[in-house]
Amino acid sequence: MAAQTLAEAAILGGHHAQAFPYFGAERRGAPVRAFTRIDDKRISIRSQIYEPDMVVILDETLLEIDPVVDGLRSNGSAVVNTRKAPSELDIGVSVRCATVDATSVAIEALKAPVVNTAMLGAVAKVLDLVTLENIQKAIADRFGEKLGPRAAEANVLAAQLAYDGTKEGRCLGARSIVQRRMWLPEWDEVPTGVALEPEHIEGVAVGPGSSIQNMTGTWRTSSPKYDREKCIRCLRCWFTCPDVCIKRLEDDHVKVDYRYCKGCGICADVCPVDAIDMVKGVHEW
Amino acid sequence: MVMKALSADHAVAWGVRLAKAEVIPAFPITPQTLIMELLAEFISNGELDADLIPAESEHSVMSVAVGASAGGVRTFTATASQGLALMHEMLYAVPQNRLPIVMVNVNRTLGAAGGIWAEHNDSMPERESGWMQVYVEDSQEALDMTLQAYRIAEDERVLLPVMVCLDGFILSHTVEKVEVPEQGEVDAFLPAFVPRSSLDPSEPVMMNPIVPPEYTTEMRYQLDRAMDDSRNVVHQVDEAFKAAFGRGYGGLIDEYMMDDAEFALIVLGTAASTARAAVDELRAEGRKVGLIKLRFMRPFPHDELRRACSGLKALGVFDRSVSFNRYGPVFTEVSGSLCGSGVPITDHIGGLGGRDITVRDMRKVFSLIEASVEEGKVKRVYWHGLREAKG
Ligand code: SF4
Ligand code: SF4
Repeated sequence: MAAQTLAEAAILGGHHAQAFPYFGAERRGAPVRAFTRIDDKRISIRSQIYEPDMVVILDETLLEIDPVVDGLRSNGSAVVNTRKAPSELDIGVSVRCATVDATSVAIEALKAPVVNTAMLGAVAKVLDLVTLENIQKAIADRFGEKLGPRAAEANVLAAQLAYDGTKEGRCLGARSIVQRRMWLPEWDEVPTGVALEPEHIEGVAVGPGSSIQNMTGTWRTSSPKYDREKCIRCLRCWFTCPDVCIKRLEDDHVKVDYRYCKGCGICADVCPVDAIDMVKGVHEW
Repeated sequence: MVMKALSADHAVAWGVRLAKAEVIPAFPITPQTLIMELLAEFISNGELDADLIPAESEHSVMSVAVGASAGGVRTFTATASQGLALMHEMLYAVPQNRLPIVMVNVNRTLGAAGGIWAEHNDSMPERESGWMQVYVEDSQEALDMTLQAYRIAEDERVLLPVMVCLDGFILSHTVEKVEVPEQGEVDAFLPAFVPRSSLDPSEPVMMNPIVPPEYTTEMRYQLDRAMDDSRNVVHQVDEAFKAAFGRGYGGLIDEYMMDDAEFALIVLGTAASTARAAVDELRAEGRKVGLIKLRFMRPFPHDELRRACSGLKALGVFDRSVSFNRYGPVFTEVSGSLCGSGVPITDHIGGLGGRDITVRDMRKVFSLIEASVEEGKVKRVYWHGLREAKG
């Protein structure tokens, strides 16, 4: 949404622009990547972007799990949602940096921690190719059409507040950039017949596009808490977890695999004795 | 004309709205769904007067489309991948009955190995169905070809269905600048559909009877001639479109930097965009390379390709699907057309299952085409980006 709105703002300013998401197996709240190109002439390239001039990071914690600044050069720039000032922030490469507490802004303006439009306000502050006015117009267009004038107004305000609260400077580049551990076998090592071997990892398929690479535990917004004392070992939770994250122990007690648990709450729902409680936030016990 | 920021799926929906389609049978499938969602919105806002009919499968969708078109109304639908495969049987009911249905197929890999990303292995097998097929490159072309498709399909010299193919996600979900024409301009370009004959109780006709062998050859030949004649109509409609809206697409093929090119690549869909960027880079370095965007797979531009490729030192074809052990389908078709021309041709298979195609990939393709004139060094087919043991 943010990438597309940015493109629309650039188009309103008379530029050519292109925006597209990268779709994986994901849901709202899961880490997503989206790309925007802006130029003065028709844009021909349609590949993903590997050497961005600017990286916009909507969630600071992504720095811990994803190589989000890969390909960013020292003459590039970054816009980050954080409480920190640029000089206190380490993203792994020292670049021109703008920071804004977009989460607080969003909660103030929208009553929800949805930071897209706030981040666009911050982008307008540092990117010469778009004006705040066009960003706000693009936001009003997109949100007005979908969610009505009040939502449009609130999002336009979020962009304004973020614009006003954006701090500019240079961030630090001391931390090492996390690497994604993608399994890329040669063609004769790919399992024959799209059959994924179970391997010895509980609850995880191994193979092309498999969940071993996709740490779905990062999607969780609430976590199942298991009470061993209450559990009657009926195994309903083990049977129904859609992600095979409930591990069956030898005595038929269970254990949650938090690396992959998405926090859907189905286990708590099916438990006949309330031995599983869904607790808000990302926890492990 | 208004300027909008639209994805190709939304651009198609705008095209359908401007073409005033009246019946739209639908079944949801990613990455086509955005088209139907916006059309449903247009209808509920009273901006499009059409019946959107949710059917229980794609097979039923095409059955409804056949009925609607036979009933004499302008009909639209869209699908992708497994949906197109499920339609396969009903696709064949359309051309021989000469029903000018327009359908958008958002190219998506046909599983297994399943995925939601772009590959052409869903639409390529349907070349034999009798549908015209055009592959588009950007959101503007997606909108413009939706309009052109109706004018081509409904031309009495043609009366064939048109499948507009666009790459899933790379195009369907990419937002870019699109000129949306005014309704009046479109009405002047695309008059209301006047069916040749239609299902009407007061003047009964029988459609789609069983056909004994005494007639089949003649009926097939008739269809073959109609497909062949459609080549001229494609050109004429593109000219008329250019006169009306200022944008032309070259008809069956679109040539780029071909005047003095010694080496060229034939490519369709969004890969043409990135290939064009590679041509710009290579030209700046003094290399004589050019690009042919193959727009129509049916009718196939046999004469156009023979003319455009004559005098080339070498030619490459980029295929986004493969016929196992027999190269990609575009390569096979191009080789058939250029038989006897003496131009060496190599096949370059890439972008399968939506794998990203970069300018660097395309530069490599051109280097391999240039190298293909050297005796002894040449493979006929390259699988780009394939991970294999070196040496
Ligand atoms: S919350 Fe959902 S994903 Fe997590 S263990 Fe329970 S059922 Fe499985
Ligand atoms: S559903 Fe509840 S009682 Fe049954 S095994 Fe799971 S936690 Fe124990």
